[in-house]
Amino acid sequence: MAAPGGEPASILVLQPLPESAPVGGQRVDGRSLENARDILLRTGLVSQAAGSSYVEFGDTKVMAAVYGPRPTDRREGFSQRGFLTVDVKLASFATRERGRVQQGPAEREMSEAVGTALRAAVLREHFPKAAVDVWVTVLEADGSEAAAATTAGALALADAGVPMRDLVAACSLARMEGGAVVVDPCGAEQAQQTASAMLAVMPSADLVTGAELQGQWTSQEAREAVVLALGGCRELAEAMQETLQEAAAEAAQ
Amino acid sequence: MAVPVVCPGDILCAASEAIAGSGAHVEGEAIRASLVGSVRRVPADAAAPDQRPTIEVIRRGLQQGTPKPGDIITAKVVRINPRLAAVDVLCVGDIPLDTTFTGTIRRQDVRATEVDSVAIADSFRPGDLVRAEVLSLGDSRSYFLGTARNELGVVYARHSTSGQAMVAHSWQEMRCPETQAVEKRKVAKIAS
Repeated sequence: MAAPGGEPASILVLQPLPESAPVGGQRVDGRSLENARDILLRTGLVSQAAGSSYVEFGDTKVMAAVYGPRPTDRREGFSQRGFLTVDVKLASFATRERGRVQQGPAEREMSEAVGTALRAAVLREHFPKAAVDVWVTVLEADGSEAAAATTAGALALADAGVPMRDLVAACSLARMEGGAVVVDPCGAEQAQQTASAMLAVMPSADLVTGAELQGQWTSQEAREAVVLALGGCRELAEAMQETLQEAAAEAAQ
Repeated sequence: MAVPVVCPGDILCAASEAIAGSGAHVEGEAIRASLVGSVRRVPADAAAPDQRPTIEVIRRGLQQGTPKPGDIITAKVVRINPRLAAVDVLCVGDIPLDTTFTGTIRRQDVRATEVDSVAIADSFRPGDLVRAEVLSLGDSRSYFLGTARNELGVVYARHSTSGQAMVAHSWQEMRCPETQAVEKRKVAKIAS
């Protein structure tokens, strides 16, 4: 409590973010430019949902739950192809400063991006007149939230048994001050980036389902970024397959 | 022996070697898996024109599906009027659904013969459990269902006054076991 007429006794102050441009090929957390963070992938955590997943990219923690297929509202009319709705929400405790309870414009944009990436991979003809809902919650946001949300959504859809053409793996890149392009930026890097790129890929066929580039990219730089991101996505896809296979083997016992 | 588990997108075989069954789809020149599960090859019938085996991916656990034309479903009658019976679809085949889909049994789809003389109130009543076939996806509001086969129709109904579960008496009548009172229904012939 502030003493009358005096300085406040103590105030919790957010520490400023560290300077995160890579120095001599080493990033603020010790990684090399092309290193993605350690990942953790799990499925089947939300027992009420048809399918669910939990994904960690370093300290970024994302949870996804899939519900459906459920009948669509009659106002949406007859459709031979099912609907896939994706909703991404950052928990209010996910960011350094407390976030809003309602979905903000950034979350709506992320929902659109993740929805586009996942919709291309789902065989919507297999559930006509029905809708599948994907609810993604970001529990801790420390960079690459959109990529983690896309990956978690794809894992949850596979866990739910929604027919898919392929899994979807997503990878983010950031260009930092000084021009270095880093893979899988952490929160400090993402806050200080000068340009960003996110790629969502169906790994078996190397088909891109989502691509978002922000900032200035020459076509040469964009090509290099895509190649870098593709490599990151392939590694992620292998890990996703292992996770799904282990979960299926456990369920078989 | 552990059966290898495939993930969506995994190539199962060339499209020319097999037919894609449930859980698999054709993508270009290859048949790929659509689900996480184990692969099963079903050889073609000796009489089938296409002798390629069918390749399927079987997923463990309940596969929540949506009603497709040709499926046999179990539904509960919610509401009737002279033209149709509105039902809630509860199960597709043997699998109970998490959410109910709306279905309609129209007067002309209740039975195969003498469709003009069908009275819905003599075929179904609210609360009956009915086994029906999905005729089509219908419109945005409901699936179109039909009971025009011997084995389709009411499988469980309670008598309107005594409340007892009735026993099938003929293809058109069900009888209350206590009061012996008879009510008209389009009764399903359940193979014994």
